[in-house]
Formats: sequence, structure tokens, C-alpha cells
Amino acid sequence: MTIGRRRLLGLGLGALGAAALAGCAPPGANPVNAEPTIPAAGPGEKITLTYWAWLKDLQKVADIWNARNPNVQVQAVFSLGGSNGGYQKMYSALAAGGGPDLAQVELRSVPEFMLVGGLVDLARYGAKQYRSRYDEAAWDQVTFNGGVFAIPQDTGPMAWYYQPEVLAKVGGQPPTTWDEWAALAQQLHQQDPTVYLEVFSVADASPFMAYAAQAGGKWFTPTENGWLVNLTDDATLATARFFDKAIDGGYVQTGYDPYSPGWTAAAGNGQIAALTGASWGDALVETIGTGKGKWRVAPMPKWPTGSGSTALGGSSTAILANSRHPQEALDFAVWLTTSPEAIDALIKYCGIGWSPSRDYIGAQRQQPSEFFSGQNYNTDIFVPAAKQQPKDWHWGPITQRTLNALSDNFRRKITAGQSLVDSLHLTQKTTVDTMRQIGLTVLEAK
Amino acid sequence: MTTTLERTAVRTNAPQRHRRKLLGAPWILLAPFLALFALTVLVPVILAVVQSFTHINRAGLFGEQGVTGGFAGFANYVEALTDSNFLGAIGRVLLFGVVQVPVMTVFATALALLLESASARWPAFFRAAYFLPYGIPGVIATILWSFLYVPGLSPIIDVGRLVGLDIDFLGPNSVLWSIANIVTWTYTGYNMLVIVAQLKSIPSEIYEAAKVDGASPLRIAASIQLPLIRPALILSVVFSIIGTLQLFVEPLVLRTVAPAIVTEYTPNLSAYNNAFAYNDYGVASAEAVIIAIAAFVLSFGFLAWTNRRGRS
Repeated sequence: MTIGRRRLLGLGLGALGAAALAGCAPPGANPVNAEPTIPAAGPGEKITLTYWAWLKDLQKVADIWNARNPNVQVQAVFSLGGSNGGYQKMYSALAAGGGPDLAQVELRSVPEFMLVGGLVDLARYGAKQYRSRYDEAAWDQVTFNGGVFAIPQDTGPMAWYYQPEVLAKVGGQPPTTWDEWAALAQQLHQQDPTVYLEVFSVADASPFMAYAAQAGGKWFTPTENGWLVNLTDDATLATARFFDKAIDGGYVQTGYDPYSPGWTAAAGNGQIAALTGASWGDALVETIGTGKGKWRVAPMPKWPTGSGSTALGGSSTAILANSRHPQEALDFAVWLTTSPEAIDALIKYCGIGWSPSRDYIGAQRQQPSEFFSGQNYNTDIFVPAAKQQPKDWHWGPITQRTLNALSDNFRRKITAGQSLVDSLHLTQKTTVDTMRQIGLTVLEAK
Repeated sequence: MTTTLERTAVRTNAPQRHRRKLLGAPWILLAPFLALFALTVLVPVILAVVQSFTHINRAGLFGEQGVTGGFAGFANYVEALTDSNFLGAIGRVLLFGVVQVPVMTVFATALALLLESASARWPAFFRAAYFLPYGIPGVIATILWSFLYVPGLSPIIDVGRLVGLDIDFLGPNSVLWSIANIVTWTYTGYNMLVIVAQLKSIPSEIYEAAKVDGASPLRIAASIQLPLIRPALILSVVFSIIGTLQLFVEPLVLRTVAPAIVTEYTPNLSAYNNAFAYNDYGVASAEAVIIAIAAFVLSFGFLAWTNRRGRS
């Protein structure tokens, strides 16, 4: 079991050689946006594009395109949702010099993929001409440094799902302000201690991010002099104090996350009355077996400052750096996200989120829903909500890290009584330190 | 190996040419293994060690003003060892190991002794039944158990409520032990089998002699079986120590239903996140190296300790 001197020498030499190799090309130095653009395939040349996405049955949508475009075939490959494994796989493929032509990337993760040089600048392939087809708020989130780095695929305007029967126990109506929301939550919980108005997730800080953005918070701002990072602006801290109070008062449920098995069970037996959720949450609410006809949708509560609604989730079709056919991939991405036939098919087969297309929400979304008590909730509630999403919201280059750090800190609210306000201050420091450590220029608001 | 071959060669008085051929044969036979071993074990290990000393710098908003890689010295190690999340993760698995490894070893030993006792009924059936959980992949096992842990779905919690007990399997103080339960359930049967194999190698004469001397079954277990299965016990504890440090699948899967499990719950989860979610391969590699060194130190420390005790 002893390692001989010779073998040790051999190992050392091997390590040196590997070090020399590793020193040559640091991952993330992909020069794709500095190299000449790749011309479109010649006429008659048959190509196949692959698309890694976590939308189910996406192939059925791609087949509509495939039937029309015999020379550009698109193959959909299922990939786990975002940071649950999909991104890990995409990052590894990029680092290894491979990967698909197209990939589903959440809007909030677009800057992170840019950081590792993973995305093709589509402005160089003529993407700017399509700007007018997309919602402004969505297009802004894929535009950086004058380039276009992904095509918006779906967004998540938020509203308030609720069960009128449960609210009726205390004679409650959908709250129009967050203060009314707090009063209603207290009333419900006082009347029956097993009943909560809503869940506040301490394990996933993304809903909190959405609430802070609604109140007018701006966490990441790209400026000419670097990133302006501010997780502790007035709007965000006010939001944190509001939910600190709700958790301390015990009138929000923090034991499980929305859409988890525990939540579905509680919502099914009336122990959870409502959900501030994104438009894509409708399909998940519909999985509550006993819920048919018991749910309705109202506009989400408002803060004294900021916007009427906000956004949670939403993704883009990005073209990854190692694609050999970016021009064709862009054509497909634009067709997928703006043509009525594709939008209808995405809704029908994939249950996709809100369409970022400016003029078409999808035929199915203009019909009243039986599950939601016959309400035509998409047209009535989500169309106005989509127009009231906060503008000028940008995601940072290490969003996942910030989100994980914030979520880990938020959990300490339950385990150690650390306030959400303190968590924001701690996460601000972690975020700024980490960004500086990888070499980025960061400005902190005073 | 060479010495054995040489001896063979001398004994058969083979000519010089024949001997040289024989010497080459094992290497040819070993080549497929060695090639795969080098490709999938040695090279990644060396790359990880190298990467743990590198750092990537990105200038501008996204690195558009230049990306440079360079030698980082021990900076990644310093960062890993001063990261409270990573240290917390190490502390967590140490606590886990101190409790779970002895509990599992005691269970496995007790089951093995019972199955190998003279009065055991259907030992083959029960051996297979106890071993069965090991055949279930960790992901599936965790999903199965999570149905018994989640409030609203778990019959255990419902029954607990009936008798006035409020059980919370996924709370911040209990979730580690819920994971320990899954791990114990999975690996007890495996360790039991290792011990059973050793028990079966005890010659029957010893049992007969003990019986003639009038030893009770308990006395046989304490004075004959336990001392003779020592090597198997040591092996099973060393495997368990290494397994504990590498705890990964169970917390990763249980995270989806347990808000108390943080992103960097175990050292391996921390390395995984740094590498694949944050693209920080330097720190991730440093953490991986630290985990490997810790596993070495703990395993060899345990072996040295048992050797010394064995001798005295």
C-alpha cells in the first residue's frame, strides 16, 4: 500500500502536465461572440437541431415545425427543470465543448449563462428586428450590453388564487392591499388554528424576490461602471419587515412550500385558503383532486409603492455557444414563441406559462375555466397583471447563488429566529463578496 | 505478483524466452482495466487536485472584458475552510456518523447473529428480506420514505395525532435523523451480509467444542462469534465512515419536501453546488480534496486504533 518514490514522481509529472493543459483555456472564455458569425445552412442541406427543455411533450410542438421545414428538423430532449439538474447538465456540456443548439433557460438565469460564455449574441443574427413582437418587460430581461442573449419563451405574471368557501368562514373578500391580506390571514387563523390563508416559503426565496420587485425593489442594475447591487433598498426591507411580522405572528404557514405534496393535501382539505401565484400555477392548482369549482382568481394584493403585479418564473429559449446552426435555431425560437399555432400547441401539450407574445395569449386562455368556477380568469385577471409587471428589473450574474444564500438564510428564520431583514443584509454581503471574488466590478448603493 | 511468477518460472525450469513472455502477459490482461481505471479514476483525481489550485477571473459585467485563469495557491482551500456553510456541513455529517454508524453496526451484528443461530427459522428467506432494501436505489428509497414523512400524507403522523403525539419528521432538529433512518434502513442488510459471510467461515468444530463444554447461545455469541467476526465489523465500519462523509442523494432528494435542508447540507452537496450550480470548479475541487483527505484520515485512523487495540 506504500507509494514508491518512482510512482510518486510519475504522479507529480502527470499533475504538472495536466496543470499546463488546464492553464491554457479557462472554462468560460468561450469566444463565440467575438468570432465571425456562422452562415445559414445552404439550400437543400438537411440539419437537425436539438432543444433541451423541461417542457413535457415539447416534441409534439416541434413536430408541427418539422412538418413545415423538412430541412431543419428539431428534436426535443427532456432535461430536468432549471437548477434541479438541468442547468448542471447544460453547464457541464458547455464546459466540455458540446451541448444542444437550443436550451430552456429561466429569464433569471440568462446572465449566469452569459457569465460562463454560454450564450450566442442573437443580435448578430438579426434578433433585434423581432423586438416589437414581445412584451417589453420580457425583452428587457434578455438584453444586455446592447446584445440579445435569448428569446423570451414564457413569463409568470402573478395573481391571487383563493377558495371563496374558506374565506367565507370569516366573511372575507380577496384583499386588495397586503395590509388587508395580513388582517384576513389573522382572522382566518384565529377562527380555526389549523387553517392558514397562505404559505410563505422559507426554503425558496424566489416568491419573496417577486414581492420585493412588486414593491419597487431593484437588486441588480448593470451600469457602465459595473454592477450596482442593492438587496437592502427601502422597498425590499419594508417587504421583509412585513413577512417577519407575519411569521412571528404565526398566521402564515411555513412548514411546506406551495405545490409540494403537503401543500396539495392541505389546500385540498381547506387548511390553506389561498395562493399568491404566477399564471403557470393554474395547472398546479388544478392538480388538487377535490378542488374543482372551489377556486377563483383575483388580482394580487398591492403594496403602498411599486407595481400592481409582479413576475415569478418565466423562461427563455437560448441558443448555446456550441451550436453550429444559430441562424436556424433563432428562426425556430421566434416561431415557437410568437406564432399562434405554436403558442396554442405549447399551451395544449406543455402547459406553458404566460406567452410573452405581444398580441396573442392563446385560444385556450380566452375560454372560461370549469375548475376556476367558470371564471374567465386569464382574460380578466392575468392580461391586466401581465401589463403591470415591474419594469427595469434585472437579474444578476450570480442569481442562483444569491437565491440559495437568501433561501438558506431565510430557513434560519425557522431554525434560529434570524429575521428576514438580517438575512437580506447577510446575503447582500455574500453576493457582493462573491462577485468581487470572480473579478466583476461591483458598486454598492450607500 | 512478479515474485510468484518468478518462482513458477524457476520451478518449471522454463527457458529464458518463455519467462519474458510470461512476464508480459499479466500487463496485457490488465491493460483494459488499467486504461479504464486511469481514465475514470486517476485522471479525474489529478484534474481535481490541479483545479483546486486554480482561479478564474472575469472582468466587466459578464467577463466580456477578458477571462483569465491562473494559479490560486491555497486560496480555494482557505475559502472552503472559512466558509461557514461548508464547515457546518462537515459538522453535520460528523454528528450523523457518530450516531448512525454505531447504531447500524449494532443492528447489523444482531441480525447476523440471530440469522446464524441454531434456532433460526427460514434464515435464507430473512437474509434476502433484510438485504432487499440495499437493492433499491437511494433516490427511490428516499422518495418512498418521504411519503411516510410528509404531513398530510404520512399515516405515521396521522396515527401519532390520534394518540396525541405531534410528530415532525422534517423539522430542523429532526430531519437529520430522518435521513439517518433511511440510510440505516438501506445499509443494515448489506453490512449484515458481510458479517454473515464471516460467521459462516467459523469452523463448526469450535461450536461443537463449546457445546460440549456446555456454553449457552449467548456465551457462544459473546466469546466465540463476536471476537471472530472482528475483521468483518472493522470493514463494515470503515465502509460506513466513508459512506457517511459522502452523504448526498438522500438530502438532495428529501430537500424537495423538507424546507429545513439547506443547499449545502452535506460536504458533497456543497461541492456539487459550487461546481455545477455556481460554476466555481476551483472551490468545488478544493472541497472534494478536503472530503477525500478527511475520509482517508478517519478510515486509517480507525484502522490504526483497532490494530493497536487488537495487539494489546
